[in-house]
Amino acid sequence: MPPADRRTAPKASERLRRLLVVVPYLVQHPGTELAEVTRLFGVPEEALVEDLQLLFVSGLPPYGPGDLIDVDIQDGRVWVAMADYFGRPLRLTRSEAVALYLRGAALAAMPDVPEAPALDSALAKLAEGLGPQTLGELPERIQAAVGARTAETLEALRAAVAEHERIRIEYYAASSASTTVREIDPEEVLHAIGNWYVVAWDHRSNEERLFRADRVRSVEPTGKRFEPRGLAGAGRPLYTRGEADAEVRLLLGPEARWVAEYYEIERSEERPGGSLEVAMPAGRLEWAERLVLRLSGAAQVLGPPELNDRVRELARRTRELYG
Amino acid sequence: MQPLERLVNLVALLLDARRPLTFDQIRERMPEAYEQEDLDTAKRMFERDKGILRDIGVPIEVVATDVWESEQGYAIAKDEYYLPEIAFTPQEISALFVAAHAGREGSSAEEAVRKLLYGAEGGILVGVGGFALATDGVSDRRLTAAAEAVAAQRSVRFGYRTSRGVEGERRVDAFGLAVRGGSWYLVGMDRERGEIRSFRLSRVSTDIVDEGEGGAPPEGFRAADHVQLGPWGPGEPAERATVAFSPEVAWWATKGLQGAEVLLERPDGWVEVTVPNGPGEGLASWILSFGPDAVALEPEDLRREVVRRLEATLAAR
Repeated sequence: MPPADRRTAPKASERLRRLLVVVPYLVQHPGTELAEVTRLFGVPEEALVEDLQLLFVSGLPPYGPGDLIDVDIQDGRVWVAMADYFGRPLRLTRSEAVALYLRGAALAAMPDVPEAPALDSALAKLAEGLGPQTLGELPERIQAAVGARTAETLEALRAAVAEHERIRIEYYAASSASTTVREIDPEEVLHAIGNWYVVAWDHRSNEERLFRADRVRSVEPTGKRFEPRGLAGAGRPLYTRGEADAEVRLLLGPEARWVAEYYEIERSEERPGGSLEVAMPAGRLEWAERLVLRLSGAAQVLGPPELNDRVRELARRTRELYG
Repeated sequence: MQPLERLVNLVALLLDARRPLTFDQIRERMPEAYEQEDLDTAKRMFERDKGILRDIGVPIEVVATDVWESEQGYAIAKDEYYLPEIAFTPQEISALFVAAHAGREGSSAEEAVRKLLYGAEGGILVGVGGFALATDGVSDRRLTAAAEAVAAQRSVRFGYRTSRGVEGERRVDAFGLAVRGGSWYLVGMDRERGEIRSFRLSRVSTDIVDEGEGGAPPEGFRAADHVQLGPWGPGEPAERATVAFSPEVAWWATKGLQGAEVLLERPDGWVEVTVPNGPGEGLASWILSFGPDAVALEPEDLRREVVRRLEATLAAR
């Protein structure tokens, strides 16, 4: 096998996979804007044009005058004709179908997702349309269990994200255990470890912040628009470490291990007896104090040293309430 | 001729052909692709192209072209190639699009939904607000392995670390999957324990290994029934408790908490609420998480438990 060909082969297969999906869409939607194709199919415009130009010289062997695929790109729009055999896409592979089904089931299971009913019916149609050979018993064997806290402001937050609208929110900040009012520029709504969050620029602190949606009490429009700063991006850490941040280190006993599954942790290490040592970033210690107070004897503070004193002070103030 | 061009033409040729084509016929119809080289090289190139097409899911069949089976022909099974028609409503397709894009970029779910878009009305997806869903450290590969075991009713083996940190190996007949708050659970018959158990996939510590056919779930089995949690952990709430919250936290503490009912607002702004209690010590722990912004009022043993914990903290050195 010539080495040049070996190098191009994986790339060609990737491009072919893409073409066999994009071309049916273009055959069905004459005059689609290139920008929309880019957005829907995740292909950079340049790569798309390159592939389509190649398609233009392709077609049905032996390439008689009526057998070549007709591609026309004008004013940022694209037309594809004479490609009836590419008028419908390739079937979903089993793993694609499973991945989409699982993703849909996970989203439909979230509280307060307005798409949930449409998703449920879409997944049922998908399972039926693809037939049992693709998804097997899976559709009957997946269910959602209720558990997450609801976030009634989720829709309003999402709308503000889509419209780039600056909003005023009333927010319960666990880090300071207080409810505050602030203006934010929300850029993305995301779900992680059991909660909805909104990534936003916070005008009160002049910093990027992550707000838990269930702690947003109210959302009010300000009538102002903002220019996104690119804060979005799935898979980001839930906490952006600042310069001044302390590192809280805890030794979690078996009963307190759940903390590692519900909070963002930076490092963790197994310790004898089923204990887990974790390091968590914390901008302010109020939040950590309350966590340690709640864990009582199940967790031990390894650092910073003042955290222990603060927990004891918090315990004293709380104890007073019980006379 | 570029490899991509050759591949597109080969797919077009085979999709358009009414009957299987032999390699010689393909070579004749695609001279630029397979005729410049000597026969062996051309044949190898064709084999490699065939491999690429199969890899991306193009169903190429090899069939005999005559009753004596002296010659082989190649064909694409059209009913296996083409996506069947599925009539999604605009709301459905846009919901699927949002779901597929809620994960890591470049996932199989994105690939899947792109294939479904061709029948959608143009422009319906403009302005669809997105979501991002983070999985709790579970790779797509592990989730898919669990899903495939469930789909095909297989028995699987994997390493597992319990919520209390005990590590061990499990052998489980995969009955179902449940999802709660973004976390996935595999539910099935734990062979060693002889009971139906649930396993949070983020606690699975090894690959999920197939161990052959598994048993069938019992009549009326629902995976979700095995991962339900009361508000304070496993088990159904036994009774009700009364808690007072400071004005600072009251709205948040009571909102979205299933079964919480506001009793009264005191003149000082504190709010008294009844919530489901027990079993276990989850409620006491939750009340403590509010520090001096919450007080347990009733029942008496809940109050005592909160005070006991506070004093233990004060006594610790």
